[in-house]
Amino acid sequence: MWFRNVFLKTLRDYRIAIVGWGVGMGLVIVSPMASVAALISTPAQHAALASIAAQFAWNADPVKADTVGGYATFKIGVFVFIACIWPLLAASRMLRGEEDRGSLDVLLSAPRTRLTIALQKVAAMWTALLVIGLISGVIAYLGGRAFKADFTLADGLMWGLDLALICMVFGGVALLISQFTHERGPAAGATGGLLVVFIVVDMVHRVISGTDWLSRLSPIYYYNLSKPLITGYGTSAGGMLAMLAIAVVLTGAGIWLFVRRDVGDVVKVPWLDRIARPAAPSRSLPVGDWSLRSVYMRSLGMIAMPTFWWTLGFAASAAWMIVAVNQLASKMNALFASAQSSPAISVLKNIGGGSSTELNGLILGAMFELMPVLLMAFAVTQVNRWSADEDEGRLEIVLSTPKSRPAVLLGRFAALATATVIVGVVTLVTASVAASIGGVALDGGNLAAATLGMIPLGLLIAAIGYLAAGWLRTAADTGLLSFLLAAWFFISFIGPDLKWPDATLRLSPFYYYGTPLLHGMTLANLAVVIGVGAVALALGTLRFARKDIGV
Amino acid sequence: MTAIIEVEKLTKSYGRRRGIADVSFQVGEGEVFGFLGPNGAGKTTTIRVLMALIRANSGTARISGLDCWDRSVDIKRMVGYVPGEPSLDGNLTGGQILEYFAHLRGGVDQKYLKSLIERLDLDTGRKFRQYSTGNKRKVVLIQAFMHKPRVLVLDEPTSGLDPLNQQEFDGMVREAREEGRTVFLSSHVLSEVEKTCTRVGIIREGRLVKVGGVHDLKDIKRYEITISFAQPVPLEAFAQLEGVTDVERLNDGRAVRLAMQGSADAVIKAAAHYPVISLTSYEPSLEDVFLRYYESDGQAPKEVAGVV
Repeated sequence: MWFRNVFLKTLRDYRIAIVGWGVGMGLVIVSPMASVAALISTPAQHAALASIAAQFAWNADPVKADTVGGYATFKIGVFVFIACIWPLLAASRMLRGEEDRGSLDVLLSAPRTRLTIALQKVAAMWTALLVIGLISGVIAYLGGRAFKADFTLADGLMWGLDLALICMVFGGVALLISQFTHERGPAAGATGGLLVVFIVVDMVHRVISGTDWLSRLSPIYYYNLSKPLITGYGTSAGGMLAMLAIAVVLTGAGIWLFVRRDVGDVVKVPWLDRIARPAAPSRSLPVGDWSLRSVYMRSLGMIAMPTFWWTLGFAASAAWMIVAVNQLASKMNALFASAQSSPAISVLKNIGGGSSTELNGLILGAMFELMPVLLMAFAVTQVNRWSADEDEGRLEIVLSTPKSRPAVLLGRFAALATATVIVGVVTLVTASVAASIGGVALDGGNLAAATLGMIPLGLLIAAIGYLAAGWLRTAADTGLLSFLLAAWFFISFIGPDLKWPDATLRLSPFYYYGTPLLHGMTLANLAVVIGVGAVALALGTLRFARKDIGV
Repeated sequence: MTAIIEVEKLTKSYGRRRGIADVSFQVGEGEVFGFLGPNGAGKTTTIRVLMALIRANSGTARISGLDCWDRSVDIKRMVGYVPGEPSLDGNLTGGQILEYFAHLRGGVDQKYLKSLIERLDLDTGRKFRQYSTGNKRKVVLIQAFMHKPRVLVLDEPTSGLDPLNQQEFDGMVREAREEGRTVFLSSHVLSEVEKTCTRVGIIREGRLVKVGGVHDLKDIKRYEITISFAQPVPLEAFAQLEGVTDVERLNDGRAVRLAMQGSADAVIKAAAHYPVISLTSYEPSLEDVFLRYYESDGQAPKEVAGVV
């Protein structure tokens, strides 16, 4: 049955993702529901939670944050990006990935038009997204019932639909961009970058008044118009229709371009073509090219462009956070003055994951929690390239040169380490400059700990990825690392709310990262992360030195 | 002749899947050794063990007296390698790839490298992903030859090359041989091995079934000739001829299909006694040859199974 047409075959390919992401997103929304009960046991805590959430509007609209549905909607806030990861990967792989592998040539030799094939593939992806939305909506409803929420099954399903629609939008973005790139990786990367930009653009109107017009440019804005889990707030049909329209236009444009371009080539941009005129046949060799001198240099060359964009993103985020703190500080001062002895402080600690009452540091600490997660995500994308190189046979000839296997692996790892150091240092410099210009008083040592302390975390997940690549293929390796990242995130950011034991919290590297902006970083914690990373790297190197390549 | 490649009782399996079993052979220094076998016979597995890309379950593989796994780095200094399915970074140009591998090998003679580029007519300015299959193969061939290695290990090296470049490749192999370098070349094309190699090893279903001089190939080389005549001809005119193993009558005796082994001289001379309309010769694939060769009871005949 599943091999009768392109639609069914593609849907079959998505079956594991449908279950995994459907259940995963369901659990993402249910986790804060489980924790909110502990936060709102008294009327005073209800009030405190509502007022503090209002000050954290940069994260999400603080609507009825003292209810189960409201708190869950507020808490997952910017983490909509997690849901959008699968569609952007799937859409960039849908046509460009198959072209890369050469499998699209065979498919296009079947008596079907390109349009039919592309439409069936898109239909399969959209169906998959709707099923993901359905599963997560049902889980949201069941979770709500378990924790005495007041929203209905229809509300849960509408939340799932809202999620599916924003995923369709970013799937459309990836599909469109992939028409302009030779490989799927850059298309997925650029879409990921745009996703972060759109999340930030949506945040702006919640932090700086009078910027609603700017946020309307972001599809995330229309996603946030609906809050079906909040009784009385409901769903915005206009917002959903806007997302559907954006998804149709972007996907349609992607398909339109695909139907007209050469298979295996990219859409020709006239002004780019003028710049890159076809060169005459050459026999020359790039003798002076620094990036070709060793495995390390070559790896650095490979990683240079993604490092540049990620560094830019980190630096911009750090600067933005400091600007946002300035905006929030005055409002928060008043609240703190009246609430030092109220439950507000404990609620705020739960939201921010910190344990200090110093204002700027507390807010900034909450915001900075995202930074190591993002750096680790960057490391995961680079580990993905390593295992893909082995899977696709690109290591064969490198390993036929007189370089030992450990030297090849460590050369690659060293390049990734260099890139993460660059990200950390540039973030530190940018944050320091932004704090200085914005007049935000920050402890220099703590800021250095917060920014440079991310580096061992990035290297830890990379080392684990290199170790796992000794046994797993690319997709499984990336899946494992993504799972670990998500699991650690929830252990550290939901675990304390759920009063999980210290032994469980210690399983997450974020525990050892702590809240360095507030308290600096202890050498012992740093040593744990570095130690585990070093052991993983050593074992990974040992495994790579002994394993069969490409088997 | 001193053996430079020594393989003894080499066995490699991939879990339940067969790889190779008890493969033993030697290649002398300066020899061009052809490693023949149908698809999936175990050629690439043997080569990947030699290149230390995979580790044998048992047995030994040595190059220049050094164990291929334990001394792989030392061995790779003296080896040039062409993988069966070359894959390289699609974003690099051919020139960048060659320069990169030249650096990894500690530098190469740039003049010689450029001569190889000229010889195979490679445009080094294009990105690897933009190359045709043949041009990709050229890049990989050049990187294998550019440091003038003592041993060349080539896994189906001419796959995708046009006839002109195949000729050029034959010339490069011939020169390597004249310079005393060793070439270990795998192929599933009989005629290619006949053309370039001095000795051959034949592998089938993971087991080496024959090692010997290239002239021994005639023992297994079978082909078919179909001759159409203007009038019916008697089958007896061809059935007893030297080299003919089977005769089939077609088109009411106006055509014959002959299964051949060895020289066709007697057949051509016999056919010349009748008015010939057309003559076609068909060289079966190695797999067909093997199937027919082993069709009696699935076992290798004694005279073939033995190592010559």
